[in-house]
Amino acid sequence: MNNNGNVSITLMQFIFLIHGVQMGVGVLTLPRELAQIAGTDGWITIIISWILCTAASLIIIQVMKNYPDGTIIDLLSHYFGKWIGKIATLIFAFYFALLTMVIFIREALFIQVWILPFTKIYVLAFLLAVPSYMLVRNNINILGRYSQLVFFMTIWLTFIILMPLKYANWLHLLPVLKEGWIPVLKAIKSGIYSFVGFETAFFLYPYLRNKEKASFGVIIANTLSLSAFLFITIVAYVYFSPDEISKYSEPAVTMLKVIDLNFIERLEIIFFTFYIFVISTSVLPAMFFTVYCTSRLTGSSDHRKHAIVFLSLIWLYTFIVPTTFERNRFMQGIVEQGGSFISFLFPLCLWLYFLIRKLVKGRTGK
Amino acid sequence: MKKLCSALSAVLLTSILSSCGYNPIEDLTISLILGIDLDEDNNLIFSQSSPVFNKEAKKNVEVYQLKANSIRESRQYFDAIATGDVTAAKIQVLLLGKRLLEHENWFSILDTIYRNPNFSLSTKVVMVDGKVSDVIFFEPEEKAQLPLHLNEMIDNNINRTRTENTTLQVLHRYMYEKGVTPSMPEIKREKDIKLSGISLLDKNGKYIESLGIEESSLLLILMDEKKEELTLSFPLTTLEKDGGIFHENEISILLRKVSPKIKTKYKDGKFQFDYNITMTVSLVEQIFSSNKVTKEELEKLIEKELESRFNKLIKKFQDLKIDPIGLGIYARAFQYDEYKKVEDDWGAAFSEAEVNVSVDVKMISLGVTS
Repeated sequence: MNNNGNVSITLMQFIFLIHGVQMGVGVLTLPRELAQIAGTDGWITIIISWILCTAASLIIIQVMKNYPDGTIIDLLSHYFGKWIGKIATLIFAFYFALLTMVIFIREALFIQVWILPFTKIYVLAFLLAVPSYMLVRNNINILGRYSQLVFFMTIWLTFIILMPLKYANWLHLLPVLKEGWIPVLKAIKSGIYSFVGFETAFFLYPYLRNKEKASFGVIIANTLSLSAFLFITIVAYVYFSPDEISKYSEPAVTMLKVIDLNFIERLEIIFFTFYIFVISTSVLPAMFFTVYCTSRLTGSSDHRKHAIVFLSLIWLYTFIVPTTFERNRFMQGIVEQGGSFISFLFPLCLWLYFLIRKLVKGRTGK
Repeated sequence: MKKLCSALSAVLLTSILSSCGYNPIEDLTISLILGIDLDEDNNLIFSQSSPVFNKEAKKNVEVYQLKANSIRESRQYFDAIATGDVTAAKIQVLLLGKRLLEHENWFSILDTIYRNPNFSLSTKVVMVDGKVSDVIFFEPEEKAQLPLHLNEMIDNNINRTRTENTTLQVLHRYMYEKGVTPSMPEIKREKDIKLSGISLLDKNGKYIESLGIEESSLLLILMDEKKEELTLSFPLTTLEKDGGIFHENEISILLRKVSPKIKTKYKDGKFQFDYNITMTVSLVEQIFSSNKVTKEELEKLIEKELESRFNKLIKKFQDLKIDPIGLGIYARAFQYDEYKKVEDDWGAAFSEAEVNVSVDVKMISLGVTS
């Protein structure tokens, strides 16, 4: 199967696809999760996570350079044989499927809690599934365009988040490193989870038109996400007292509740409605890569049927299993574990493999 | 055909969306005031006031009061007597009776407000010196509907820096933040409903003391919460009185820019806070002859007077072991290790702290007369 065909994505689409996957639902709870472990020093954790994740993404790009015309699946099949390739496809399919499930269901749960408390989850899941299918049935370049569009369409939400700063108390951030480095380092696990998504570079790389810019692209994508996370977290920290922030499950939304404009009350609902678009740029690529992997596995070139089946399965799941935040968090835990393997350990091993291989080859060449 | 199909499916999909439906405003009982109080037998009393939109009704406000165990439970009883569905999303003012606040740990009653995202968190929390029912059943004839009147009245006083803007959100912070003790506006029913200042609570939410309007303004300066306008009127006690029945050494100043700076130290086993408040003021009233003192002397006199007032106020807080200013937040920010040891009883630690206030007054205008 020729991956490139005539489908390709621009650097901008590459950046916004990766950034979009990272800007999922995690950021809404991120300030609390970090504060629970690291207090108001959580923002340092974000910077450390960013360094780690950028390094990992650069390694991914280095690995992919060894087989620039195919995705990670083609690369593995090429170097390690067909069966390793199949197994890796299965693992990736499983990982992206779980990631999709977590975000998709969390999205529905948030909508239910904040906007439509009387609507059943499976109704919401169905309503979300229809537009999802309409986008996912297309190829990656359409998703790239969508992510780029949504980014520029929702960038004004930043200004809404600026509003609570009116009530901010910057003293909450002091002293820096209240309890030393240990809690900051302990929180890295949560910090890294919000950056999950850069591993899509494994699949996006072959489509990128201008491959020399790939490293630059992942750095920009990670930095964009860093600024978004840092911004939201710091606003939440200066707005809420360090002693109270962990009492709110989604501090990033709660802090919008006090914005009191003369012509509109409960601005957080408007914010949230638009934020659904942002979440969709996270869930749709993950969904696409799930069905991409499964269709590769079955050898079919049409991933639409797989998309329909996958979405139906998710919907069936929401219909049969009562969805709760606890169960969702449990699944998130699995994804976090898998994510740290797939996005850190796996590229690192591959990278070392190629380094050694080059070394050995160089030596025998002489 | 394809277009028709997608159009049809779009219609079908939107039809399964459960929206709010058609809810005419006449059929809603929109609570604008919620009151919580405790009666003599320690029963919780809930009351609510909402506007009536029906033209046939003689009164334009409906007020109900009943006993219940919790806010959410009270709603079902309100529903049973009110015309329409009672909705809590638009509550403007939350009145808390003094008797309720004289008991510790009343804060947990408000749980549903924070748990349920329907509630607005910009609702103002106000203490009633007396019974809530005295206020909520008050029907001023010469004023707008009580909910509107009350809301406006408190808002105006917040803008003029006479009372604090304690919203539900702020109250939540006050209750959980260890370095500050809660405070909220206080109103009282006499002939009219009047704002009497700020009430101060201890860390458990128990009512401790009330501040009058004057002291409230001073507290707000210390908290760096000066809003749009702030006028202080006081007699210059150090100035010799001419005698006579009028307070002839009385002056009023309009504070234009107020910036308190706080230095936090830890010395000899206690915290030390050095306040330096610089303010630019203009003179708006002076009931003694202006040739008695020069401008520079006047600045000095005002500084002295304000310093003694600030010190007295802080002394009062320390005696009561409360810290409504939130100096604990400064202690945490700058003396974390020492603060960490006392954070669970910050009020006591604060009562032993040394607080020095110095005021710098810069008179920029003496008005248009001399």
